[in-house]
Amino acid sequence: MTFTSWQFGLFVAVVFGLYYLPALRTLQVQWLVFASLFFYGYGQPQLLPLLAVAVFGTYLFLILALRNRSIWLPVGIAFNLALLAFFKYKFLFIDPGSSGLSGVAPVDFLLRLPLPIGISFFVFHNISLLVDLTRQKGAPPDLISVFLYIIFFPQLVSGPITRAEMFMPQITPKYFGDIAFVEAAKWVLTGFFFKLYVANNLNEMTSYMDFPLYETLQTQDRWLLVFLYGYQIYADFFGYSAIAIGLAMLFGYRLPVNFNLPYISTSFSEFWTRWHISLSNWLRTYLYIPLGGNRHGAGRTYLNLMIVMGLGGLWHGAGLSYLMWGLLHGLLLVIERPLLTPLKSIDSALFRAVRISFVFVCVSMLWIFFKLPNFDHAVSYLSGMFAPSTNSNPPKLFYSLAVLYSLPVIVQHFVSGTAFERTLRRVEPYMYGSMAALMYLEAGPETSFIYFQF
Amino acid sequence: MERMSAVRWFARCAVSAATLLVASGLATAWLGNNLQVPATTTRDGTLITLNRYAKEPIPDIVLVGSSLTFRLKEEYFATPRLRNLALAGGSPVTGLEIVANQPRLPKLVLIEANVLSRAPDAALVERYSRSGGAAEPRFFRPVRTAVAAYENWLHAPLGHAQVASALDQLLKHPPSDFDNHVYADRALQQFNAQDPTAVALANVKRVEQLIASIEARGSRALLFELPYTEPLEGSRSATITREIVHAKFPAPDRWLPIAYSRNELRWADGVHLDERSAVIVSQSIDRALPSLLGSR
Repeated sequence: MTFTSWQFGLFVAVVFGLYYLPALRTLQVQWLVFASLFFYGYGQPQLLPLLAVAVFGTYLFLILALRNRSIWLPVGIAFNLALLAFFKYKFLFIDPGSSGLSGVAPVDFLLRLPLPIGISFFVFHNISLLVDLTRQKGAPPDLISVFLYIIFFPQLVSGPITRAEMFMPQITPKYFGDIAFVEAAKWVLTGFFFKLYVANNLNEMTSYMDFPLYETLQTQDRWLLVFLYGYQIYADFFGYSAIAIGLAMLFGYRLPVNFNLPYISTSFSEFWTRWHISLSNWLRTYLYIPLGGNRHGAGRTYLNLMIVMGLGGLWHGAGLSYLMWGLLHGLLLVIERPLLTPLKSIDSALFRAVRISFVFVCVSMLWIFFKLPNFDHAVSYLSGMFAPSTNSNPPKLFYSLAVLYSLPVIVQHFVSGTAFERTLRRVEPYMYGSMAALMYLEAGPETSFIYFQF
Repeated sequence: MERMSAVRWFARCAVSAATLLVASGLATAWLGNNLQVPATTTRDGTLITLNRYAKEPIPDIVLVGSSLTFRLKEEYFATPRLRNLALAGGSPVTGLEIVANQPRLPKLVLIEANVLSRAPDAALVERYSRSGGAAEPRFFRPVRTAVAAYENWLHAPLGHAQVASALDQLLKHPPSDFDNHVYADRALQQFNAQDPTAVALANVKRVEQLIASIEARGSRALLFELPYTEPLEGSRSATITREIVHAKFPAPDRWLPIAYSRNELRWADGVHLDERSAVIVSQSIDRALPSLLGSR
């Protein structure tokens, strides 16, 4: 059940309709947990037991870790990482189609299970729960609250990754009169607009980046498509996150903002404070700082950056392309680190524009490893960007369409300022209405959210 | 600024959305959907080709085929009222079914016999076999329509007369010396890996039925084969397909005679004719057409 399906619209309407009934107020959390289980089980019912094992297991380790943190916290984290590693990376070593895997039926059943949707996200929630709550040393939360934190349906599949210490205090009775309807509508409309109008339409064009189609492209079109994919992946993931934030608001919960205009970043470290913010924060809090962060000298800091970014890459998928993507981002962070202070001292609008462009070009080129998870294909695409094309009959890309479908991302990033925002406020409802009409009229062909695969 | 109430906010939002939808609906009803919307995918290109066929007057000659025939652009032919209905990535049978399901038929249907390993696209056949072609959408896509208007204004489709001198110039150049061995090797590997027997047998049977159907209604159908590279001609897929189709249609007069100098032809991607070669083959078909049309 994807966010853009009519089934999901109906599901939200029913869940919302019953959620605020006074008679059900004491059962709001239970109702949301039930709805979230239905949402998850709708696509992959055979994986519901796995979700239950993850939640019950984490809860057990949480109770134990609250009594003895030094022993049970590492065990709880290892339990979750083992789940993630098993389901995410097992296909590196086995072929699920082969007739006899281990010869033991239950083991074969587990080995053949597909990648559970959202496992990367709910495992991170579990670890956050274990670390945050055992650090606070408070009373153990009830099981149903833990369930809600881990499987709350707007964030279950692709985040934002919410920290336990931010979410758990929000589990209180909710009232219809407290709903920020306009704010929620703005998030939801923006999210759907970016997904349906921008991402799905650009996806049609960037499908030419797939193997072997990219071999027919002209060199300049390879470059164009790289930038279009940069806009697409942003619109896709920002769109998902915006819908999740808006939906959560309808049920009285605030999720963290996941994007803050990443393509105006002047450095790679700034980019990671603006792109997939909830993942960056998670990696910093639960990996980079425990590794020592920047507290043990330059060399160790660089090593930590490479480790965190490499693992961040592998978190997206078990493949050389994802690892390279992470490591290259790590390398860029390492290279720029000693230069940041001298660069900051140069106060010039032109220089700032050059830095934004440089970061955007590098980040966009690294997205090739996302688009083409086969490492050889990614390298072949990249090398073709620096060689003249030999195909006498290349596909025609309509640059005017590319601009018009990318425009919302460009406007959002680069047309801002107080005067613009004042004007925007006056026409805001009309603008959102136009976006709603446009996303219906001009929606691109249905495609799943890119981050669903992670 | 006074804080706008949620109700007023939603009312304004709904009014602007409804206004745009109504405007788009009215514009669609007034202007229709005739503007050629730019294709961003192969599927889009297929729909454009079929929309044109469904909406415009029936031509005298129609080519149906796969991406091989798709390369033979209509403007390469001097013969007027010729339409290329080949579908890139599709089966010749899809085009033939659609042609046969129309109330009026062209005088001559030319059917590519190279790629018969793909099943016909039932959804496309269904969509374009209704009377009047595909159902008109209630709203057009405003951005695509605007771009279509701009592109049509900028690059109006060219006819043969407008490109004739450029084609002559192209033919004066020597054949391309582009080294295509990487692509040719890959294509050969793919062609040798395929066994088209089952689908080709079904397709050939269906082609026979459709030929009988359209010829009973006064049209004429001929098969033709486009040249492959030498190694591809001997590949498993090409050999099996050729045997199946020639076994079903052994009579020479069922085949379009095409005469060209093979050593002038090149396949840049290992499978499809490059532009100069496509012009050469198109012109050889062109030369055969007057006698075929006159012989009816």
